[in-house]
Amino acid sequence: MLLLELFWSFVKIGFTSFGGLSMIPLISSEMISHGWMNAHEVSDIVAIAEMTPGPLGLNCATFAGMRAAGIFGAFIANMGALAPTFTLCAVAAVFFDHFRDNKRLGQVMTGVRPACVGMVAGVVIDLAAANYIDAGGGVNVPSAVLGVVDLVLLLRFKVSIPKVLLLSAVVGIILFGVMGL
Amino acid sequence: MLAKLYLQFLKFGSFTFGGGWSIVAQMKELYVDTEHSMTDEELLDITSIGRSLPGTMIGNIAMFYGHRIAGFWGGVACMFGMITVPMIILLLITSFYTAFQNNLWVASAMRGVRAAVAPVILSALMGMVKSAFKLPPCIAVGIAMFALYYFLRVSPIMLVVIGAVLGLIICEYYERRPAKDAAA
Repeated sequence: MLLLELFWSFVKIGFTSFGGLSMIPLISSEMISHGWMNAHEVSDIVAIAEMTPGPLGLNCATFAGMRAAGIFGAFIANMGALAPTFTLCAVAAVFFDHFRDNKRLGQVMTGVRPACVGMVAGVVIDLAAANYIDAGGGVNVPSAVLGVVDLVLLLRFKVSIPKVLLLSAVVGIILFGVMGL
Repeated sequence: MLAKLYLQFLKFGSFTFGGGWSIVAQMKELYVDTEHSMTDEELLDITSIGRSLPGTMIGNIAMFYGHRIAGFWGGVACMFGMITVPMIILLLITSFYTAFQNNLWVASAMRGVRAAVAPVILSALMGMVKSAFKLPPCIAVGIAMFALYYFLRVSPIMLVVIGAVLGLIICEYYERRPAKDAAA
């Protein structure tokens, strides 16, 4: 039953995601509503997925599947996330020339892309709330300052994502581990 | 043949970090520049359709390429080749994460990393904005979907479907408008 739920969750995630970040809103809502992850763990998996090879959606599938139901769960979740590839994409491969010149696909994406931007913006606020605000409701100053520094490094100085994540891990060890903030 | 495809994609899959573009670059190096078994245009076609179909972009690209060479099972071989190494690495990391989640040093490092996640997503979002808002009504779609997601907690599946329908309407409107203007 758990395996079936896991598979179905990732089928839904697979069919409504269009590259990279667009999966995060649904992954976040599916994982949290089933109790497979909390908001902190969703943040962790986004970070881990960015630092390891492989696409975000499949890395999330492996992480969530393994935590929910072991190695077999990870495999089942991956197959769910790849369901559009097995079905839609296999059909598209047969009729490749028709798909290449299909106008509708571009029209659909004209609306789906801004919808994804809107949803991802919502997720950023959710994750920021989970990571910068303490259980008591106050802002966690060290985390918030680190977040602002990271944003400046990424946008102003064009530092790569894995480097920013690694730097933040080191700063985390110093601030929260050594200094005990 | 299937084994060869599996191994080629096993190698591509081992060297992708954050996003599928490094796979496309490796495919170009091997198939376009070295083997000359494919042209730049063909690779571009596979990439752009793989990207606009639902699912994982590189899974779709692997399926298209494999299908071209050896049919459906060729596609399956490429896809499994590509996911093998990332999946093993992530299984190891997940075991490590689960075992050491409460260790002081790992927990401190993860708290630092969590502080970086919102900025990382935000910076990637900035890259999406340009291609997402090509037509003025797209901005309204983005804002409306944000409000529905964040304030009303409408399911992302519903929002993707609404976005798709609005996309069709917006494009049809823009295509027909000049014709009307000309008639008037």
